[in-house]
Amino acid sequence: MPRETFQQELDDLVTVVLDLGSEVESSLENMVSAMENRDAPLAHNELGVDVRYKARGAEIESECMILQARQAPVARDLRLLYTVHSVTNHLVRSGTLSEHICKAIVESASCERDEDLEATLMEMARTVRNIFEEGLEIFKNRDIERARDLQAKDDKVDLLYSEAMNLIANPSEGGGGGEPEWRMRAALIVHYLERIADHGVDVGGSTVFLVTGERIDDAMRQYLQRNVDQDGI
Amino acid sequence: MSELSEERREAGQEGVGSPTGTALGMKIQDLSAFYGSFKAVTDVSVDIRANKVTALIGPSGCGKSTFIRCLNRMHEVIPGARAEGRVLLGEQDIYTRGADPVVIRRQVGMVFQKPNPFSKSVYENVAWGARINGYKGDMDALVERSLKQAALWDEVKDRLKESGYELSGGQQQRLCIARTLAVEPEVILMDEPASALDPVSTQKIEDTMEDLKRNYTVVIVTHNMQQAARISDYTGFFYIQNMGDPGRLWEFDETEKMFSNPDRKETEDYVTGRFG
Repeated sequence: MPRETFQQELDDLVTVVLDLGSEVESSLENMVSAMENRDAPLAHNELGVDVRYKARGAEIESECMILQARQAPVARDLRLLYTVHSVTNHLVRSGTLSEHICKAIVESASCERDEDLEATLMEMARTVRNIFEEGLEIFKNRDIERARDLQAKDDKVDLLYSEAMNLIANPSEGGGGGEPEWRMRAALIVHYLERIADHGVDVGGSTVFLVTGERIDDAMRQYLQRNVDQDGI
Repeated sequence: MSELSEERREAGQEGVGSPTGTALGMKIQDLSAFYGSFKAVTDVSVDIRANKVTALIGPSGCGKSTFIRCLNRMHEVIPGARAEGRVLLGEQDIYTRGADPVVIRRQVGMVFQKPNPFSKSVYENVAWGARINGYKGDMDALVERSLKQAALWDEVKDRLKESGYELSGGQQQRLCIARTLAVEPEVILMDEPASALDPVSTQKIEDTMEDLKRNYTVVIVTHNMQQAARISDYTGFFYIQNMGDPGRLWEFDETEKMFSNPDRKETEDYVTGRFG
């Protein structure tokens, strides 16, 4: 195949992005585990990953720019570089947010907690981790059908977000609502989790653009319209 | 005669006029081109939009140059060569009985790969076409305007009496563009106009295109895909599916679409350099 060197460079770049994704996945796994087990030392180990992820992200960005300058990519090659750039940004941001959550876990380790709120947070954290992993798999396998399903899964995160915020704003009467500091940290964690879910969904959406050249919103509209047409509604 | 040409004739500028801003487009319907019994291009139907730059890309030998030579009846000057189908310039069928190829070639000018100035002065290179077409206006003004449109005036305004051969390759090509503009065509066909030029000269030609489309319709054949992506509004991809087949217009769309997300795999393989 012509342009073998360029193709190899693109393949290598994708491998580097997927490696970064695996590392962020590990961070999310540790974050969920630290929440489930109230494991402040494990959370503490995650502090500092942000710097490493940002440096990796900068390297990938630099490589994208060099390839654009040297190879003048168009069509699917251009979409791939654009997508790699976009996905890398989502991965790095997710890694940063995971570290923020771990920091909140460490700082609230000794706080009295609301069990209902903690249970909601953990369910949200597991769901978010799954969405992120699925987004990365979609990118790895170019599985755009699942990208469309991923949007629906994000709705569950939004529901849990509302539920958690309601518990934070309206602690149960007669104690048991946890310390104010815990509720404040919990609000931050809820917000960070919701953002990570969005990044995971966007990784899937970027893959739709990579494969079809369509923005996920347009693709979703067409997809839903197709269902309407098929159902004869 | 086209409405525009009619206006020019009434203004005493038949064949040569001042840029009016609006040019004519072309409509090609079921065009096939032959060299003797060999069919080189088949069934091309496409609208060339007015006041836009249309780039034609594709592998060597797929019929791009043959196709554009059909757009001003230059193809038929090769012995045994002929074209079938309809080519409309505005509303006028340039292949209709009675259509004068000389008039057509004035309305649809052509710039070739290799600069080919006349062995005359810079001034005469530009003025010659207008003069033999009976231009009665201010010739100095016409020469200056044409050279300015071709982005050459500043470089040659003090060298108008020198031979066109004295100019550099890039300047000679812009002189040929100015010569084409002087007879005020509707459409300018360019067959790889920058392929023999250095990057700086190429850039000047490309910059000229952006200005030219305000007054003219431009069709350019190029092997430089980045050039097509940079300068054109629409792109057509010519392709031969099997060895010995005639060339076809495989895909035609807005340039942005062709270079970001073309519909056909062969187009994507070609623009990404994955042919072979």
